[in-house]
Amino acid sequence: MSQIDENQIHDRLKRLSEVEPGKQASGRAMQRVRDTLIADEGRRVGLARPSLIGRLMKLAAAAVLMIGAGYIAGRLSAPEPVNVQELQVALESSLKSSLEPAIRQELLSQMDERWQAALAASNARVKNELTRQVRRDLMEFAAQTLAASGTRTDQRLMELIELIDAVRLQDRQRMAAAFDYIESRFGGGLVTLAARTDELLGSERAVPAPAVSEN
Amino acid sequence: MRSRQKELLELLDKSGADLYALLTRLTLREDIAEELMQELFIKLNNSRGTGNAANLHAYARKSAINLAFDWRRSQKRMVPTTGRFSEPVSTEDSPLRKLIHTEELTETLDAVGRLKKSSREVLVMHYLQQESYDNIAEQLGKTSHQVRALCSRAIRNLRDVLGSNEHKSSKKEIHNVANR
Repeated sequence: MSQIDENQIHDRLKRLSEVEPGKQASGRAMQRVRDTLIADEGRRVGLARPSLIGRLMKLAAAAVLMIGAGYIAGRLSAPEPVNVQELQVALESSLKSSLEPAIRQELLSQMDERWQAALAASNARVKNELTRQVRRDLMEFAAQTLAASGTRTDQRLMELIELIDAVRLQDRQRMAAAFDYIESRFGGGLVTLAARTDELLGSERAVPAPAVSEN
Repeated sequence: MRSRQKELLELLDKSGADLYALLTRLTLREDIAEELMQELFIKLNNSRGTGNAANLHAYARKSAINLAFDWRRSQKRMVPTTGRFSEPVSTEDSPLRKLIHTEELTETLDAVGRLKKSSREVLVMHYLQQESYDNIAEQLGKTSHQVRALCSRAIRNLRDVLGSNEHKSSKKEIHNVANR
């Protein structure tokens, strides 16, 4: 059933355990995480601004102080006693006129700041995500191209080897045919030539060698 | 600075390199490991469970293993396989040999990803991170014998998964040859 044995599995796991990232890559990854954590902390701190209620309280206290001071000054400088109803109306209108625009302005500026912070954060996140996606896609594409080109190269090499083998076989067959042809065509002539040569050599051996004089 | 963030920075200094190496082993790609490392710490920073975890390192390692295998599952294998070779072409480290090695490691990791979470974690800790049985037992709150048994079972299951893969692929090859 299983065609792979435990030794092979252990061998593969050992090879996996020997995979080590480069020191530079490791340092870069850790620095990136550290930067992210610190930036996140900074963002959180930046968002924790003084609350709206506190600022409004200060504004209201200032307004009350001013109104009180005005009231006292008016009371001291006024020749006649002031009507309470009129004073209430005057206070209401004064508070309204002094507080309402300030609150509105404050609210608007708060909203603007929050929108700007949120937009900046989302913009950075989208940019980061896009960069990561593009990088991931490029790496994926490169890996696929490399694997595909490797396969194609292997295929081409196999085809080339097969082609060379076929040509060599054809060449040998042609050489064999040529030898056959030579044998069939000149075989008899070669035998006659050999016989004649043998006879000639025999007759030369039969004739005595001439005496060689020393002079 | 918040206490959690301080803890995470300490974790990064102490175990960041180990976590990155683990992610590289499980993904076989440094760029993906870098992405997953950042994702891991963002998750740890935002997660409520981090504060309750007694051993932050163990929690981070478990999360890293899960992240890496989630990534492996999300990857669809579109790259054509190079076929199988019964005998090595050469004993040298040729590009083809390297390719086969990488293919084998990828196949093994995919098979590890198909194991149960507990078996997978123990297998990764013992065989990939080279941690002792006693150390793993201490971290997981089990006995050394239990961890040893888990490892043994994990290897058996891994063998079955890889064996069934081989069987399937050889059947496919026979089918392909028959159709030629």
